[in-house]
Amino acid sequence: MVGKESFSIRSIRVLSGAVLITWLILPLVPLAIWSFAKGWFFPDLLPKRWSLQAWEYALSDLSGVMDSLWLTVWISIAATALSILVGIPAGRALGMYKFRGKELVELLILAPTIVPGIAVVLGIHSVFISMGLNNTINGVILVHLIPTLPYMILVMAGIFANYDPSFEAQARSLGASSAQTFWYVTLPAIMPGIIVGGLFAFLVSWSQYILTLLIGGGRVVTLPLLLFNFATSGRNDITGAIGMIYILPGVIILLLTAKHLSGRNGAVGGFGRI
Amino acid sequence: MTHVSIRELTKVYPGSADPALDGLSLEIPTGELTALLGPSGCGKTTTMKMIAGLLAPTSGDIHFDGRSVLSEKPEHRGVVMVFQNYLLFPHMNVADNVGFGLKMRKVPKQEIDHRVKEMLELVKLPDLGDRQPSALSGGQQQRVALARALIVQPNVLLLDEPLSNLDAHLRFEMRDLIRGLQQEMGITTIFVTHDQEEAVVLADKVALILDGRLKQYGPADVFYKRPVDEATARFFGGQNFASGTSDGSVFKSGLGQLKLPDGVNPGPGKLTVRPENIRINAGENMQNSLQAVVTERVFLGTQTLVKLQVGNEKLDAIANPNEVENISVGDSVTISLPPSSLWVLST
Amino acid sequence: MSDRLKIALLLAPALSIIGVLFFGGLLIGLMRSFNYMPVIGLTEPDLSAYIAVFTSREFYLSFLLTFHIAFTSTVISSILAIGSALLLRRTFVGRSLINFLFQLNLTVPHLVGAIGMLYLFSQSGSFARLGAEWNLIAKPSDFPALVFDPYAIGIILQYIWKEVPFIGVIVLANMQSLGEDYESVARSLGASKWQAFIHVLMPLIFPGVLSASIIVFAFTFGAYEIPAILGASYPKALPVLAYQKYTDVDLAARPEAMAMAIVIAALSALMIYFYVRYMRRRIRS
Repeated sequence: MVGKESFSIRSIRVLSGAVLITWLILPLVPLAIWSFAKGWFFPDLLPKRWSLQAWEYALSDLSGVMDSLWLTVWISIAATALSILVGIPAGRALGMYKFRGKELVELLILAPTIVPGIAVVLGIHSVFISMGLNNTINGVILVHLIPTLPYMILVMAGIFANYDPSFEAQARSLGASSAQTFWYVTLPAIMPGIIVGGLFAFLVSWSQYILTLLIGGGRVVTLPLLLFNFATSGRNDITGAIGMIYILPGVIILLLTAKHLSGRNGAVGGFGRI
Repeated sequence: MTHVSIRELTKVYPGSADPALDGLSLEIPTGELTALLGPSGCGKTTTMKMIAGLLAPTSGDIHFDGRSVLSEKPEHRGVVMVFQNYLLFPHMNVADNVGFGLKMRKVPKQEIDHRVKEMLELVKLPDLGDRQPSALSGGQQQRVALARALIVQPNVLLLDEPLSNLDAHLRFEMRDLIRGLQQEMGITTIFVTHDQEEAVVLADKVALILDGRLKQYGPADVFYKRPVDEATARFFGGQNFASGTSDGSVFKSGLGQLKLPDGVNPGPGKLTVRPENIRINAGENMQNSLQAVVTERVFLGTQTLVKLQVGNEKLDAIANPNEVENISVGDSVTISLPPSSLWVLST
Repeated sequence: MSDRLKIALLLAPALSIIGVLFFGGLLIGLMRSFNYMPVIGLTEPDLSAYIAVFTSREFYLSFLLTFHIAFTSTVISSILAIGSALLLRRTFVGRSLINFLFQLNLTVPHLVGAIGMLYLFSQSGSFARLGAEWNLIAKPSDFPALVFDPYAIGIILQYIWKEVPFIGVIVLANMQSLGEDYESVARSLGASKWQAFIHVLMPLIFPGVLSASIIVFAFTFGAYEIPAILGASYPKALPVLAYQKYTDVDLAARPEAMAMAIVIAALSALMIYFYVRYMRRRIRS
């Protein structure tokens, strides 16, 4: 507000900013170092010897890390695609119309974004057993819809709330069919929302642990499950390498979307679930 | 009760090459109502924020009664700023908004209640204390914002575009309210506006700022009669300009030789005459009469715009519709430019 | 096509997926927690699972621990998030880089953060090594137990690490859309910086802080993998205990696990209730 301030206040400000940013990056540092360490024993501050062994292992066919990576990519893409497909119409209904019971519908959609997965997944597991969906990739994709879909709907509802449907009426009056209107008018208008919402729905699915663990029953080993196993078995170097691979999509997505991203964007709500 | 003196005030925002305000100097006498007038982006709001202490100047100084206030925090300057969009705190009701400044000064609650009630009566909103700001009309919100500012009895009151968000019929009501309260309390008041009509109607004196610099400062009528240059004249609706030379009493130009009022310096310049001061169908024996051809007439409702051609020069005249009823395009008419309505701009 | 029908058709796929998976899962969990499952011949509901849970000392310890984790993490994160937002809302050189770094860990899954905390704060972790370097400790066991510890310090540190940017980004956007003019008005009316913050800025950003905090509280109360990595073996965080009961070789423990899941769900429902009530009251006024 006031442009001039004392030197000491300024230094406190800069210092606390530096502490904040350091703290936010700090936990990723030992993870990265471990991935290049060949033995790193107490009390060495840095590894005595460096190596690429952990990376070679993680990238080799033997370890299964790559298989797990592609499996995780597939599950997240499938869950995202389904969420987009189902989320667009629901978002349109919530964003563009007022109707009786709207508050209730919003509540039903809001609930899964707040209620933790553990609270519902035990019940789902019992049902999936009877339907033969447990221990299958399809079962995992379905259960990932619980966190991704509501989130996609909320993002799309926000997009449609600022969308003017008279463009569609204009297109229809110029002779476009309803399919043409959707393809040439509606879709381009909501595309930014689909892209940002989709990228973050992908990350929400990408980060799921307990849902995959229970429904996949140990047969569907996604990257976080593999990472957890290596972390708890004390293979810190391989854990480091897998950890680095695991955070890569998120960092790339953040680089791509940083400009569009602010707390005003509904997409940010999804971060609570990553 | 405070004489405000602005000295060589300059503001350059970080990352911007051009100054938002470039060496503005201005003396605002105690108790006067002064308008800072200029197009949007000319540095008016920047000036106000610097006077209020909400923004630090790049260079220059601000004095209240001869004492620099730059080092004083905004809450200690005794300057209250009323923003254009009123900015009533949405989480407080009207009474809490009005009483805010007193609460910050730790005035006892009973006294606050009492003074809020008085203040709301003064701005003619006696029964709205319990309302939420969002439930008020624009005019009511402005009165609340004004009450909230005046209750702390500031030395200097700053108003940002005080009339611009209001309907035409509310403008005069608000003008009377602001002028009335300002004169009653004798508060030195500065307001900014981009609307010359708003400035003229409300202010004792007007400071015209163009491109971050002060162009002209004085009572409003001077801007119509004696503008300093063409840009100033145009800002106040001047349209007729003819280049030529003055010998101190007569101006020679494409309009012929015209007698000038007293006080015009000799030399080259631009003659200007306001459209409403051109008389059409004047008698032959009037001073500065000319023959002109009507090229266009446009009915404006309460007035008629008549476009004229005199030799190679064009003139716009504005007349009462009745007076020019039987004039049509192509007619030759006699017009007169009374010497008192002429002014020469230096070029 | 009437609007009502159109709306119903637009919502149908989404509501059936959420209805079947989420509310179906919740309902089945609820039924099983009462030992009621007609399909497998359990037709007489009883309260035995709840009695077992509510008479067990372990459950109370777990519940208290989990509440402590969620509450402490949420409060500290919210305060630090507001502070960070105040720091970052000013314009300064390199702001876009700092903003990027501030948001960086938003996309990093909690699990990775938990492993990072383990490598930082365990007794042979980076901070212990620093302690040894500066001769503050001689051997790993001299370093205070910050992970696997009874006060869940490691878990709370991880949540603070992860949630400060989450709440911070929301609060920052909130502040930026409010602008500084409300505070300017307050200052010019005689409020000090601190008064303008307490009486004007805080009440205006509070709804945003509250809604973000509720999401954080519910998440930290129900998350599994973070306490599973960083938690002590006794007492366990509630979600870890529930999972352990559910996967117990003794199938009789499953209804108890379901009962714990229902407790977690009930607490989140309470959070949703307060959230909705608060938001409605605000909208009305």
